Amino acid sequence: MMHISSILLFIMYFAALVAVSWCFTDMETGPGAALFSPPNGGDRFKIEGRAIVPGLKTQDWVSSARVLVEGEEYVGFLRTDGSFTVNDVPSGSYVVEIVSPTFRFEPVRVDITSKGKMRARLVNYIKTSEVIRQPYPLQIRASGPHSYFMKRETWGWTDFLMNPMVMMMVLPLLIIVLLPKVVNTNDPEMRKEMEQSMNMLSPNPELPDVSELMTKLFSGSKGSSKTSSSSSSSKGPRPAVKRR
Amino acid sequence: MLTTITNPQRRRINFRLPLCAEEVKVSAMAKLIFLWLKCLVSCCIVEAVFEDQVGKFDWRQQYVGKIRFSHFDSHVQSSKKVLMATEKNVFAALNTRTGELFWRHVDKTGPEGNIDAFLLHGQDALLVVGNGRLLRSWDISVGGLNWEVVLDSGSFQSACLIGQQDTVKHVAVLKKTVISVHYLSNGHQKWIENLPESENIDYQALYSGGNGEVYVLGIVPHSHIAIVVYSMEDGEIIKQTSVEAPWLSNIQTSCAVVGQGMITCVDSLTMSLYTLDMHTQSKMTQIPLQSLGLEVTPHFHPVLVSHQPNAAHQPLSEFLLQLGPEHHLLLQLNSGQMVVLRDFKPVRHMTPVLTSCVFVSESEKRKCVLFLLQGWIMASYIIKVPLLNPVFQIYVQAFLKKDDSVSYRVLVQTEDHTLTFIHLPGRVMWTREEALSEVVTMEMVELPLTGTQAELEGEFGKKADGLLSMVLKRLSSQLILLQAWVSHLWKLFYDARKPRSQVKNEISIENLSRDEFNLQKMMVMVTASGKLFGIDSKTGSILWKQYLNNVPSNAAFKLMVQRTTAHFPHPPQCTLLIKDKDTGLATLHVFNPIFGKKSHITPPALTQPILQSLMLPLMDQDYAKVLLLIDDQYKVTAFPSSKNVLQQLQETDLTTTQIWEVIIPTEIQKVVTVKGKRSNEHVHSQGRVMGDRSVLYKYLNPNLLAVVTESTDVHQERSFIGILLIDGVTGRIIHEAVQRKAKGPVHVVHSENWVVYEYWSTKSRRNEFSVIELYEGMELYNSTVFSSLDRPHAPHVLQQSYIFPSAISAMEATLTEKGITSRHLLIGLPSGGILSLPKMFLDPRRPEIVSEQSREENLIPYAPELLIRTEWFINYNQSVSRVRGIHTAPSGLESTCLVVAYGLDIYQTRVYPSKQFDVLKDDYDYMLISSVLFALFFATMISKRLAEVKLLNRAWR
Repeated sequence: MMHISSILLFIMYFAALVAVSWCFTDMETGPGAALFSPPNGGDRFKIEGRAIVPGLKTQDWVSSARVLVEGEEYVGFLRTDGSFTVNDVPSGSYVVEIVSPTFRFEPVRVDITSKGKMRARLVNYIKTSEVIRQPYPLQIRASGPHSYFMKRETWGWTDFLMNPMVMMMVLPLLIIVLLPKVVNTNDPEMRKEMEQSMNMLSPNPELPDVSELMTKLFSGSKGSSKTSSSSSSSKGPRPAVKRR
Repeated sequence: MLTTITNPQRRRINFRLPLCAEEVKVSAMAKLIFLWLKCLVSCCIVEAVFEDQVGKFDWRQQYVGKIRFSHFDSHVQSSKKVLMATEKNVFAALNTRTGELFWRHVDKTGPEGNIDAFLLHGQDALLVVGNGRLLRSWDISVGGLNWEVVLDSGSFQSACLIGQQDTVKHVAVLKKTVISVHYLSNGHQKWIENLPESENIDYQALYSGGNGEVYVLGIVPHSHIAIVVYSMEDGEIIKQTSVEAPWLSNIQTSCAVVGQGMITCVDSLTMSLYTLDMHTQSKMTQIPLQSLGLEVTPHFHPVLVSHQPNAAHQPLSEFLLQLGPEHHLLLQLNSGQMVVLRDFKPVRHMTPVLTSCVFVSESEKRKCVLFLLQGWIMASYIIKVPLLNPVFQIYVQAFLKKDDSVSYRVLVQTEDHTLTFIHLPGRVMWTREEALSEVVTMEMVELPLTGTQAELEGEFGKKADGLLSMVLKRLSSQLILLQAWVSHLWKLFYDARKPRSQVKNEISIENLSRDEFNLQKMMVMVTASGKLFGIDSKTGSILWKQYLNNVPSNAAFKLMVQRTTAHFPHPPQCTLLIKDKDTGLATLHVFNPIFGKKSHITPPALTQPILQSLMLPLMDQDYAKVLLLIDDQYKVTAFPSSKNVLQQLQETDLTTTQIWEVIIPTEIQKVVTVKGKRSNEHVHSQGRVMGDRSVLYKYLNPNLLAVVTESTDVHQERSFIGILLIDGVTGRIIHEAVQRKAKGPVHVVHSENWVVYEYWSTKSRRNEFSVIELYEGMELYNSTVFSSLDRPHAPHVLQQSYIFPSAISAMEATLTEKGITSRHLLIGLPSGGILSLPKMFLDPRRPEIVSEQSREENLIPYAPELLIRTEWFINYNQSVSRVRGIHTAPSGLESTCLVVAYGLDIYQTRVYPSKQFDVLKDDYDYMLISSVLFALFFATMISKRLAEVKLLNRAWR
């Protein structure tokens, strides 16, 4: 099924292609005949249009801009009002682009028949015969300034804080600080339970327990003297910390 | 058909180019891939300039070329513009204060953009372009076009402004058969008339005296002058006369209009001046030169120069007559009376039409004598300006100062295309080296080490002589380094106290030395005019220049570095091969690339036409690489040709024998380019790791040549381009490919195991890129050494093609020290941008369907169209016009490649194809890192103190 549909699509496309080429039969043969004739013989045509940069006086940019037809095959210059004419172009199909170091203009393909009939269409390098009409004489509007530069990575507090590594560091810290406040540490049963779980977590009693130290440090200053004295008594099995 | 040698082991070419029939499928898929690609491109392989790096590592110099016509903008008294139309088809306005460009318009190259005439009237500059095809009017204040009209065909003769009642409103253009008059305001044609009897009469000159009449002067050589007078209003012929002049052959070289419409001619045979009043007389008056007490230098064609300051008025009655190479006269013609005003005997050079009449002496090269004549004021000045080369042309603007004294500005163009701008007392305002607008070839040479650096280097080179002395030497060298560092710090401190404007990092030849990472190099540039330049790559300042006088105009150049700076105390040595393209005769110019001085080594005299030259990797006892020159007798000349060299070559009589031959039928195709690999290229990895962890080995044949051919048939259906990969040692054709319905110009880059080429597809009317990559396969035949003679297996060939949405003017690949960094292609575009395209996009292994393995390998899925992103322009908005070549050179840093693009302009920059992985980035935040360190340090101190207090408190409890 897929096959049939794709073939159908292909046939339809081919039909469209034939139809298009019928309309512009002389477009294909035209350039060959005109290109290889001597420059004086054969008809020469002109491509006309206007380039617009919204919100800017033409004097400010026309002196640095040029009109290039098919690379540098034919060159045109912009008038002081932004309009341009490229003279002496034989019939054929050309990509017309306005080059300016500051502004970006979309290129346009212009077809000239051997009789001098003109049309403009969007440039499509993949589907070369696709026709999406553009106004002729050309109206080329700048689509904004060129973006040549990358943005520097700037250092901001938010970037720093949203960094996963920092998050991983800060969150446990908050828990350590806040947990003793939430859970009532004065309850002896609870404390026993906690101590048991702590012992289970740190099987090596010789190793200094950083988290506990931190807890002591932060909760101790605000906590009652009772807590601190009782906690110091509970430190019995941890001589490593006491030694400090 | 293509070759006589067949290649039995030809591989299947994986050629992928979207054809018309596949277009629908391709484009649908292309959209999907495009999306994928955009994600990929934007997130991982972006390499671009940051905004704060503008001008930090790069510089651009803009040129206009050799001047053909020049006028000063005298419309406004305070104007600072000088306008010039050049032989490079450029029309530009320069700032007279600084010598920089206000604006510049670059037309098509070749005869179609050729500027035939340049007239200036007020704000409007009129140019006749393309052998009289176009008439353009430019607004010189803005630099925009006023109007452009197409003129009728016919070869251009002359153009002039036509004035009437003190105003100039029209311009007349004279062609072989017609004369047309146009309005200055809009270019519309006022009238056009056929010239009478144009098949017999050669019309050469136009004249208008400001009275509403246009005079056309024609000539029938050695018979008579024809004068046709047209009415300005309607183009009617008012009068038509013919005057006998059997001695005259050319009006433009022998005659001028002087005073009130007097044609004045000079003839060397009859030794006479002839005058004719165009209004009244019908016969020429002969004034023998002897009657004025003058005589012509034998074999010299005398020249007449007159001057018409304003088109609405008559020319001055004074004119210049040159009777010999060093003999000038100022004469006056007043009501038929010829008077010699002044005789300038020892002055040689004179320029034709100017705002003022000017002589320049050349007898003493360092002194210019300048005479100015304006109206009735005649002044003479002697200016002393060191002009190194003979004066070629000179343009003068004379003006009245506020105190009514005459002052002048002079623009001098010397034979070596240097422009010098001089103010009144002989003060040089600026100079421009316009020869640099046509750089032909260049090399980048490393700078020498300084004394201390050389001493340090020398320590490692010497043989060890005892432990103690080694230690002592080490200590002393460290001391020297410390000393240098301290003096550097002192200099920094000293400079910091001075105001910023006074601190100048003057670079001169004396203090040139290599920097830490070898980023600063000497750019040796060879220009078409025969002038050589040494330019500092860091700042772009010209450190030395040398003009070679005897270079033929159609010379071909080849620049070779025979000895680098690495062989102290031997000086570095460059050799320039200059070959006359017509005769094939060549000369060698040997020089020191750092100082530009001609070497005392005498190169061999080359009496026979040279066919080919090549540099061998062999060195003689003085570490100079051997250059071989093959003449048309197939004899070989070696330079240097010492005994040592001949021993190494194992040959006493150097001759050539043919080893292999590949016949390419010339009636079908012609060879356009032959490209080998660059000798200083290094390839770091021998293969590529595939998705399944196996290795695909590259075919790295150093002898491989890429030969590009173009069909002789230019019809778009039958034209093709061919590419042959030939082993240079055996002549074996490794691979051949033909691109049908394609034509040149072809741009090729050949490097590592790949060839990239670009061509124009006549069928689809677009530019296409094609890449060929060669692989040995999964196993390497002989991994230690590559020999062309012992490679039984033909390489696997992969090829893929892409669409490129722009034309190309030059292409080159980046080059780094060790070849670890990924490669980029640098592509010069006609728009002026230099695109840095990652080679990753031109990889024939780009898959059509993404698989797990291809993703593992980081292959980009195939997309038919390559993108041009402005972020990839390494020169941001600094467009480079008409890029003719791109030169890449490695620096001391593996990540960094130095790039010079040359054409009409020169642009130098650095590129980092894999970003700067070996140095800290230039935006590295030292402040942040040090403040964080300090903060942490203090935090530990404080917390330690707090902990102590706390412990103490606890102990007391």
